[in-house]
Amino acid sequence: MKILVCIKQVPDMESKFKVDTAGTWYEKTDLAWRMNEYDEYAVEQAIQLKEQVKDADLTVLSVGGNQVKETMKKALAMGCDRGAHIEDDSSSDKEPFEIAGIIGEYAKDKSFDLIFTGMQSQDRGSAQVGILVAEQLDMSAVSTVVDFSYSDGTVNVKRELEGGVKACITAKTPLVVTCQLGLNTPRYPTLPNIMKAKKKELLSLPVEDLLKVEPRQETVKVYFPEKKGGGLVLEGDAAELADKLIQVLKEKTAVLA
Amino acid sequence: MEFTREIYWNVGHGAWTLIPMYLLAIGAFYILVKAFIGRVAVYKQGLPLQRTDRPGERAGRMLGNILLQKKVTRVQWPGLLHGFFFWGFGLLFLGTVLIVIQADFTDLLFGIKFLKGTFYKLFSIILDAAGLICLVMLGGLMARRYFFPPKGLESKKDDAIMHGLLFAILLTGFVIEGARMAVTELGTPLAVWSPVGLLFAKTMSGLGDQTLLGLHKVSWWLHLLLVMAFFILIPYTKFRHIFTTSANYFFEDLGPRGKLVNLDLEDEEAETFGATGVKEMSWKDIFDADACTLCMRCQDRCPAYNTDKPLSPMTLVNQIGEAAFTNPDANLIDIISKDVIWSCTTCRACEEICPASIEHVSKIVELRRSMVLMEGEFPGEEVMTAMEATEVNGNPLGMGYAGRGEWAEELGIKTLAEDSDVDLLYFVGCYGSFDKRNIAVAKSFVKLCQAAGVKLGILGKEEKCCGEPMRKMGNEYLYQSLAVENIELIKSYGVSRIVTSCPHCFNTLEKDYRDLGMNAELVTYTVFLEELIKTGRLKINAENLSCTYHDSCYLGRHNGIYEAPRALIAAAGGNLIEMEKNRQEGFCCSAGGGRIMAEEKIGERMNIKRVKMAVETGADMLLSNCPFCLTMFEDGVRGADVEKQLKPRDIAEVLAERI
Amino acid sequence: MKIVLVAEYRDGKLLGSYGELIDFADKMGGESVMFLVGNDTDLPKYDGVVYLADAENFGEYNPDAHKKLIVDLVGKEQADMVVFCHSSYGWDLAPRVAFALKAAQVSEIVEIADGLPVTPVCNAKLRRTVKVKTPQSVVTLQSGAFGLTEEPAGSPVIEKIEGNGEGRIEFTGYEEAESGGVDLSKAQIIVSAGRGVGKPENVEMIANLAKALGGEYGASRPVVDSEWVEHNRQVGTTGQTVSPKLYVACGISGAIQHLAGMKKSEFIVAVNTDRDAPIAEAADVFVVADLKEFVPLLTEKIQSL
Repeated sequence: MKILVCIKQVPDMESKFKVDTAGTWYEKTDLAWRMNEYDEYAVEQAIQLKEQVKDADLTVLSVGGNQVKETMKKALAMGCDRGAHIEDDSSSDKEPFEIAGIIGEYAKDKSFDLIFTGMQSQDRGSAQVGILVAEQLDMSAVSTVVDFSYSDGTVNVKRELEGGVKACITAKTPLVVTCQLGLNTPRYPTLPNIMKAKKKELLSLPVEDLLKVEPRQETVKVYFPEKKGGGLVLEGDAAELADKLIQVLKEKTAVLA
Repeated sequence: MEFTREIYWNVGHGAWTLIPMYLLAIGAFYILVKAFIGRVAVYKQGLPLQRTDRPGERAGRMLGNILLQKKVTRVQWPGLLHGFFFWGFGLLFLGTVLIVIQADFTDLLFGIKFLKGTFYKLFSIILDAAGLICLVMLGGLMARRYFFPPKGLESKKDDAIMHGLLFAILLTGFVIEGARMAVTELGTPLAVWSPVGLLFAKTMSGLGDQTLLGLHKVSWWLHLLLVMAFFILIPYTKFRHIFTTSANYFFEDLGPRGKLVNLDLEDEEAETFGATGVKEMSWKDIFDADACTLCMRCQDRCPAYNTDKPLSPMTLVNQIGEAAFTNPDANLIDIISKDVIWSCTTCRACEEICPASIEHVSKIVELRRSMVLMEGEFPGEEVMTAMEATEVNGNPLGMGYAGRGEWAEELGIKTLAEDSDVDLLYFVGCYGSFDKRNIAVAKSFVKLCQAAGVKLGILGKEEKCCGEPMRKMGNEYLYQSLAVENIELIKSYGVSRIVTSCPHCFNTLEKDYRDLGMNAELVTYTVFLEELIKTGRLKINAENLSCTYHDSCYLGRHNGIYEAPRALIAAAGGNLIEMEKNRQEGFCCSAGGGRIMAEEKIGERMNIKRVKMAVETGADMLLSNCPFCLTMFEDGVRGADVEKQLKPRDIAEVLAERI
Repeated sequence: MKIVLVAEYRDGKLLGSYGELIDFADKMGGESVMFLVGNDTDLPKYDGVVYLADAENFGEYNPDAHKKLIVDLVGKEQADMVVFCHSSYGWDLAPRVAFALKAAQVSEIVEIADGLPVTPVCNAKLRRTVKVKTPQSVVTLQSGAFGLTEEPAGSPVIEKIEGNGEGRIEFTGYEEAESGGVDLSKAQIIVSAGRGVGKPENVEMIANLAKALGGEYGASRPVVDSEWVEHNRQVGTTGQTVSPKLYVACGISGAIQHLAGMKKSEFIVAVNTDRDAPIAEAADVFVVADLKEFVPLLTEKIQSL
């Protein structure tokens, strides 16, 4: 069985963000980087599947500059067999369709049985890439998966819907699965596996060879939203305070709509 | 008359006495040596560990501990009973040896007798007194064990055999002496030199000479047999501590105190890290179990044990020993259980008090290392989250690393990247950098330094967690990656002296980092401020203050710094009311051993228990010197519902208010 | 401009979120039609054409079939834009439709500024204005970002879509949310109790407020430690890390462990008597009040809205 897991390196969301000089993305200095949280679940599920079927080859893929290899090493240490690094210093300028195009181009002649990825990234959050990859490869796809099982070419998953309801889905491989938080418990790499990972194949491929599509959208600008509330302090009579707070909630949030 | 006595009186000094006696002795000695050789083979299942370097120093420590019973008498009453018994029994042994030397060697071969005259009088009265002391002390120890046992003291067959045998040896000794004196010494001036023997003699004098001679002979042989039994039993009962505990003083960790062994992570051959079985522990870890006398002192002081957690350091040490002797391939983690292993706060209360120099903490860390490095297992998901947060942001709190130095900006403190010409580097630590409560402490310390004209620099966003909580939790890999980065950074700025306000940082930089090439001098802020006050650079306006003081484990037991913080409190005008558990006996706040990252799910909350001890003093303030302690106490006063009565503060804060 | 609005239908019921689509179409100023795989017994209140495919024939979740229906409809209507809710249905289907149409997709629009869609970046810390380069576009709308101020009204003209839907994946049924066990990490509204609640009986007023707001209640560590609230409701690094749309911290001073667990919330209200409590740093609104007085009043007022 051939498995692909696509991961993205994203800034830690605790970081202090600044807008970059072009004004179209965030400034990349002073940020701590990590694996997109949703992709961690994808990696874990791919490894669990590999462990289940035994005879499987698991490739981890990431698009980005050289620094994404650090994050790929974690996936290798968790248990992926090999890494495919699509070297692209300007990956953050690319829109989801382009990223999916690159991945699709890489995967098209490799006949993966299963492709895992996160349902969205923590930074851009478009929730498109996984499904676009499936469309490009003409594979079927299930998104937002919180439960996964595999048996003999058949996959049973549960999709998470709103309000805690789940939809039960059966599909055949080849299949793309996009993973939601809580799908599993991503493992902490063991030291022997960290050591082994250092020797695993991690090939860098130039993005130019794989980018065959044109962008369909562009970012005009990135900016900070106006501070809502901004540390508004309400004081006074309790009943009045309640009215004031309700007013604020109506104005600033959607929860009382 | 000549003041002496006939050796082998009544039993005879012929072949019929000597041959069976020496055969018995040789046989007993053979069994003893053979049994110990067997035990040594068991110790050798463990990994090598260098514990025979600096033999002179080791021998000195060993003799001090044996002869002066230094560690044993740290717990006063049982310690003194043991100490006097030791000396009494030791003198009796020496006396017996002298008798053997004279009777079977010097007199037999050269006709030289030294047990006579004034020396014999002294010999006689000293041995008599030693026997009496032994009987009284043994009586006291037996009464403690069997009539007024302290909570948790278990008495096994071993204990009954040992007490009974010692009692019988002493009693038969006096019966022999009494019978001999009743026949030969009653009414002579020599009798008063054996007052206890005299008492036995007078009591038995009505029996008639014939009976006394028979009784003497039987008692003599019985006494001999009992002593031989004693020798044989040494390796098979806790009597072995006579040798093993003594030897353990020699094999003691010569320090730095509590420093863990650095794992070689570059070792390509290594297949396992940490320990799951006795064969992955060191020989000393197995030997420690043999040196344990089950005195319970560790357990009595263990903060985990005393808050209803499953950990008993004593049980753990003995489980390792039992596995080594009965099932060396067993999985220790299963035997000991994970909850036990995760419960330890590495507070060192066990090691500090252990009269047998047993090292408990490193064993626990070795087991943790295996769980973390080999299995990726943690006591809870929250700990794994903290580990990952540290990997990403260099602090277990998961705060964005770039903001690490922001707290200091308003005080005009620069980073070394901005200005490396400073008197000292202040290694702030994660809590002082990110936690609002502890930022207040860091700021207080900076203000004190500024008042004294000391120019501090910080590393700011370049600083990373020292790695202490991760290391103690078993994550040696993460610890070493953090350590290497910090050390290279510190070296690159040519820093020569570093001050810390976190005892965990201090301990790690001062001891653990040395293995990885750290060479700057370390000072903890309490000692540093005391210097500044002593030299007059820092003036503190004393102002009355009702307080108690908590010795953090890592400043106290791990580094022996007890007085500097107290001097600072005195300088601040503090009326210090000590808690019952202070200094070496201090009770952990719960946050050591990486447990700051973990939730305390089992038993009573340790921090609340400690806060209650502080409340008992009636003081208004609970002073401490450690960000982890302060965090725990802030939580603890809320948990104990004593926020209004007791305010947890750091010493630096009260000092800064008095500049 | 011609817009296709894709309404949602689940477990035999039309979802109310279609009102957000209508509001968006109004704001775009275009002509719209609605598409729904549903049932003619539960129809949107919408003045326009609703293309209705029967869920019996096409399945409630059958992305291959639904994609084909939408793509055909876009062709038929010569539509410029397809609009979905950014929901488990919308974000699953939208990229498939966009791919088939060779159109750009803009996800999770929070507003239209100067005629251009705006989306959140990095957990809504930043915003991004997007320009589409393709003639057609597919968009998804952030839940709650758009919405009619009044109940939708109107009666649709129904155009039934006949046929059967084939698809490669098979939907086999729903699994209801587990009762009892709560998962705060996914809750949209959380009201949390801190030590300021004083006694276990007062936890109920916090739970009531949460209920009135349609959310869950949580607690800080001391409250959980006191066993006033079960552990699965603990918010903080040692409990749940949460990121709801609204977080109301009642009587929580804001220990760092707690702050780390909740500061990703989009909007934070703190109710506390101590103005200097560290929670103030994280709060968008800080209500200086005794929660025992304030919370019941607020609950009452929200219930009567």
